[in-house]
Amino acid sequence: MADPPTRRPYSTQQLVDLVLDPRDRGYEEAAQRKASSGGVAGRAWYEQPMVALGCVIIGFILAAAWVHTHRGAPEAAKVHDSLVQRVRTAEGTTQGLADQEAKLNNELSRLQSAALPDSSTLVRDLNRSQLIAGEVAATGPGLEVRLSEPAPTAEPTNVPGHGERTPSNGGHILIDRDVRSVVNELWADGAEAVAVNGIRLTPTSAIRFAGDAVLVDFSPIASPYVIDAIGQADHLDVAFASSDVASRYQTLASARGIGFSFGTQSKLELPAGAVTVPQYATATKGH
Amino acid sequence: MVGALALIIGIVAGLILRPTVPTWLEPYLPIAVVAALDAVFGGVRARLDGVFDAKVFVVSFVSNVLVAALIVYLGDKLGVGSQLSTAVVVVLGIRIFGNAAAIRRRLFRA
Repeated sequence: MADPPTRRPYSTQQLVDLVLDPRDRGYEEAAQRKASSGGVAGRAWYEQPMVALGCVIIGFILAAAWVHTHRGAPEAAKVHDSLVQRVRTAEGTTQGLADQEAKLNNELSRLQSAALPDSSTLVRDLNRSQLIAGEVAATGPGLEVRLSEPAPTAEPTNVPGHGERTPSNGGHILIDRDVRSVVNELWADGAEAVAVNGIRLTPTSAIRFAGDAVLVDFSPIASPYVIDAIGQADHLDVAFASSDVASRYQTLASARGIGFSFGTQSKLELPAGAVTVPQYATATKGH
Repeated sequence: MVGALALIIGIVAGLILRPTVPTWLEPYLPIAVVAALDAVFGGVRARLDGVFDAKVFVVSFVSNVLVAALIVYLGDKLGVGSQLSTAVVVVLGIRIFGNAAAIRRRLFRA
């Protein structure tokens, strides 16, 4: 771009100068002044210290910015570590409390059986109710259904600068709804006791979804999801195989690569569930 | 030479002292950084051109920092702080590139 003969308005001139010639006019003007005031005059005494001070400040600013930028990283790691630590501690506490509960429950049933006369209808009623409520561990034949997330595939991404792109939904295809629909189908097919990943379902159990984890009674579980149902094994197998739920997951298995399988088991062992004692509901009399 | 030495001293001092940047100063840090880089490249270029002047160097650096900070401060108050901050970084960035190109032409004649 050749210099235009006429001087532009000052503001646009500044913009053009900025892009084409970023030299600071100050230096040239100062040089001209020096030249006009009698050649190279002796330097003033304050010049060297001034430059030195300016450079120290500049260096200090750059170093401060560097330090400031890099200070955050270890902080974030520290926060992450402390959060992980707290989660682990809470998990340990939960485990300890669950163990204690199991122990107390054992003691309770031992005392109950000691206190109640054997083979009375009361004992039978109690045992039946406890079994149905999932209060005691149960064993018997049944069906085992397995659902698992597809194996992670290293799909090459075609977006440069966006390596490690995770598929939508955070790589999770299976959510609480899937586990729930299998469980509900098994109940509908006549299951008498159901456990998901070793967590016994009780009448008040909830299967929910929080973040990226399926929660069964507030305990997070991860893929593979193993759903054990005690019942008449052959009937469960046939009924489940012919259900909509099974055909849906067969389709999903071939389309999206999830793991889905089920089969009868001659002996399933389900643990006792977490019992919640009703606080507000009381039995109606005279029934 | 004095300048380069002082620059290194400043960087070492900053690394040793590890100053904590106060929160209210944080928005101005990027501006200060590009203004500092601009002053360094401008000064080096002037030195190579043989027109370096201590007063111009210091005054232009200080005034650039102050004006840029003032613009961003006003922008912050008027709700366009980040945009103006970007504008300042772009303008000073262009200057840095231009000066770096001039230095390169002078040093390597290419």
